Amino acid sequence: MTFGYAARPRTFAFRGWDRFDYLLLVTSAMLVVYGLVLIHSASSTTFDGPLTSFANPVARQALFAIISLGIMFTISQLDYHYLTHYAWLLYGIGILALIAVLLFGNEEYGSTRWFDLGIIQVQPSEFAKLATILLLARYFSEHGGDARELRALVMSLIIVVPAALLVFIEPDLGTSVVFGAIWLGVVIIAGVNRGHLLVLGAAFFAVLPFAWTFALDDYQVERISVLVNPDESPLDAGYNVIQSQIAVGSGQIFGKGLMNGEQTQLRYLKVPTKDFIFSVLGEELGFAGALALFLLFIVLLMRIIRAAQIAGDAAGQLIAVGVAMLILMQAFINIAVNVSIFPVTGIPLPFLSQGGSSLMSMFIALGIVQSIIIRHRAYRQT
Amino acid sequence: MSVFGDEFRPSSTPSRTRPHSNLAVLRLAVLLLFGVLVVRLVDMQIVKGDDYARRSENNHIVATNILPARGLIYARGGEPLVENAGVYAATIVPEFLPEKQDDRYRIYLWLENNLGVPVLDSQTRVAEAEKNSRPGQAIVMKSHLSREEALVLEEASTDMPGLSLRIVPGRDYIGGEAFAHVLGYIGPQTAEEAKLLREKGYAFNEPVGKAGVESRYEEELRGEIGFSANEQDAHGNLLNVLMTRNATPGNSLRLSLDLDLQQYVAELLEDSLGDAKVAAAVVMSPKTGEVYALVSVPTYDNNLFGDLERRQAEYVALATDDERHPLLNQALTESAPGSTFKLITAAAALEEGNITPSTSLNVTSTVLEFKGENGVIYPLYDWRAHGWIDLIGAIAWSSNHYFYMASCGIQNGGKGLGRNTEESAVILGYYARALGLGKATGIDIDAGEMPGIIPSPEYKRRVHTGPEFNPEDREWYYADTCFMGIGQQDVTATPLQIARMTAAIANGGKLLTPHVVSDVLGPDGAVVKSMHPEYTTVPVDPANLETIRLGMRASVSQGAGSRAAQPGLDIAGKTGTAEFGPEKANGKRDEHAWFTGFAPYNDPEVVVTVYFDLGVGGEKAAPVAGQIFRYFMDHVQP
Repeated sequence: MTFGYAARPRTFAFRGWDRFDYLLLVTSAMLVVYGLVLIHSASSTTFDGPLTSFANPVARQALFAIISLGIMFTISQLDYHYLTHYAWLLYGIGILALIAVLLFGNEEYGSTRWFDLGIIQVQPSEFAKLATILLLARYFSEHGGDARELRALVMSLIIVVPAALLVFIEPDLGTSVVFGAIWLGVVIIAGVNRGHLLVLGAAFFAVLPFAWTFALDDYQVERISVLVNPDESPLDAGYNVIQSQIAVGSGQIFGKGLMNGEQTQLRYLKVPTKDFIFSVLGEELGFAGALALFLLFIVLLMRIIRAAQIAGDAAGQLIAVGVAMLILMQAFINIAVNVSIFPVTGIPLPFLSQGGSSLMSMFIALGIVQSIIIRHRAYRQT
Repeated sequence: MSVFGDEFRPSSTPSRTRPHSNLAVLRLAVLLLFGVLVVRLVDMQIVKGDDYARRSENNHIVATNILPARGLIYARGGEPLVENAGVYAATIVPEFLPEKQDDRYRIYLWLENNLGVPVLDSQTRVAEAEKNSRPGQAIVMKSHLSREEALVLEEASTDMPGLSLRIVPGRDYIGGEAFAHVLGYIGPQTAEEAKLLREKGYAFNEPVGKAGVESRYEEELRGEIGFSANEQDAHGNLLNVLMTRNATPGNSLRLSLDLDLQQYVAELLEDSLGDAKVAAAVVMSPKTGEVYALVSVPTYDNNLFGDLERRQAEYVALATDDERHPLLNQALTESAPGSTFKLITAAAALEEGNITPSTSLNVTSTVLEFKGENGVIYPLYDWRAHGWIDLIGAIAWSSNHYFYMASCGIQNGGKGLGRNTEESAVILGYYARALGLGKATGIDIDAGEMPGIIPSPEYKRRVHTGPEFNPEDREWYYADTCFMGIGQQDVTATPLQIARMTAAIANGGKLLTPHVVSDVLGPDGAVVKSMHPEYTTVPVDPANLETIRLGMRASVSQGAGSRAAQPGLDIAGKTGTAEFGPEKANGKRDEHAWFTGFAPYNDPEVVVTVYFDLGVGGEKAAPVAGQIFRYFMDHVQP
């Protein structure tokens, strides 16, 4: 493979456009557009102002998407080593922000996750997830890019656990699971010793019953048990489960059509533009619509894994792996909640759910991935 | 940023470690997790899709019943006895309450501040309904709101999801307490009723007639339910009316009961109670069986059943009053008829021929000692030494000894009604039944009408079993027939039965079915259906009935019932004083007071039967009956 690096005019503001992963860009943009369509349908009953109004959730989301795209391009220009260089600092800020949100954050749906900065709500855990990925990548790249050593494995745990715990206290069970998945993905690719992993896994499952009793709030236990039998408390914890089940199930193969889902349009779904946006999709676009979404996600994830494959060094690879795990787990947990195979937990569907904070952090992550692709191995070898 | 350029070599990144190459596990994880989701979606959307689609439909289509206006009830003169009144109630549908406990609390607090329903009450009842998985059913938090309360609630409920004002059809009984036993009342369905009624198309919240005319004529009064199917959102807001069928109002009833007469008789009985606890009176037509007044004292306010929540204490007091049983319709409750039964004995004896109108008996002593076949000496009392009396005199003066003779044959060479004492009893029972005793009259009100008892040897053997009875208690003795002949022994009858029997004697042998409803009126007021007299013919020669009537006339004009006499009115009647209960210290037993009669003698227009649970017939019941005759003739008779 030859790249026209030498021929490229150095004055061009945007560098590496020839190596830039346009498929990744297009896929993510399609996911955002998919999300905009669904937000439009789900918000039509609560918002009937003009499409151009900033109060319109679709317009807001589109605006955030454009800003996020700009941020993504900017970050793609930045060498990701610059970020790993400051990974400890970013991580420290992330942990402080998580503590701060516990102390000063806004409570919503019984959970303290947000800072309200007026025009935009900021969720520090979004930032902390990226900082943790960067720090893990930095740590392993500094230690032979390798997790074979038990010491390195334990150290990586020490990085992840505080962030995961702080998120768990908020309480945000789903995001702490995402933290765990990121860690697992990174250490596996970093070549963890299977024996170590087994021991850790065994220890985790040994602690689980205690966590169930002491660490999980009543509402969490209830949400988990509701999953098993939602009809037992159809009004409280079971409500969302039942209504989303009905929405998704009644969509059948081709759905009821956009703007035509009774569950969505008659407001039986709670937060249909955010956590339950997949239920809107399931109801209005059916199994076919869901498959299309899955396909987009799979292409997106495969492109990110490709980035990990071709990354110039271990740091780049592990960042890409972390980002892949982040997006994979967020998407999986969110959809799993919508189809009642995971307890209700407030995790947005990446790129689709309404919310600037989540959208922005996703595109920052993609920007880093693009940065890794632009500086990939083959290129470095030339 | 470009300052770092491609040449950027951060010092903190010491080594360009070689990346790992095998990322297949990651790709596998992606495919696996999405595979799980696809499998789940196939199950939900394709396999169970139809199911969920149906649930989605049911989720938002709500059928609302439109309850029909219940038919009204009028007195004989067209005066309304009942009004339909909407009962305003504050209801909560747990399904529509907000999710957040804070928001729910706000609603509960509003209820406490504005309607006085304690927060705790609301919480427990909602929690209970949710636990019993009936969240879609409205819970009545408070019923019978005032108009003002209802308006406040209606206005406030718009921003309190789950809380709403419901108007339930109710009844205002405006005819006074005198009509309570006849009209009955309506009420919510019980759990047992609900099953049956649902099959008949009743809505769950539809009230149903519980007693009296309200219950008996339920099918006429109810009308036909309508419904509307509406689409609503998750907050219970109505979006769309999909289908509507209007309700058809029920038919109205015109009673044969006279408003003023009923109230007059009720007051009269109440005022005349004295040491009696309960009383009853029946005023009916011997021509048609129409009942002009059917009074039971004590009575109660049947509006109480429309507001049981608020008047619980009052209801409990009524229901647990074991002394007076105010909820019991005394006119349909059995007790020993005493000497009024002698009319039946007279009819039986004349018909069987063991006595004739001229058969006379010289009653020289008030006690007639008689040694029964079981060796027991029975003292057979009469209330005075009448001297020589014939049948007419015996009815007029109510001679016990004469009717002992007529039934069991004592002092007549043992020539009773039949060939032996048991047969005599059976024959007497036959005539009693032919004259309407021993079975319910079939009056058209649901009030637990009692059939009364006409004993027989077979009956005594059947009933007198068990450890508390000796074998000899089960035998039918000669004296049993004698006592039965004067309406004692185990004989019981209701005032309505006695009135009906009197009517049959008065009209020459037609045993009419009494009824309180004359006409069924359509919603437009036109007569839909009219009641026609229904009767069976009594197997007694009209000439014999004539003889009995003569005796009754003599009773009022000169005999035991003379205190029923009214100037200018030709009244015929029969008193009754029935002993009941255990013997008291003075050797006497408590007595029921009866009077039954008809007037005018030549062309009977009205039968009056009066009953007091305590008293002497000629002294207590006869004068009251006289006043009722007077009132009827002066005010009611056309």
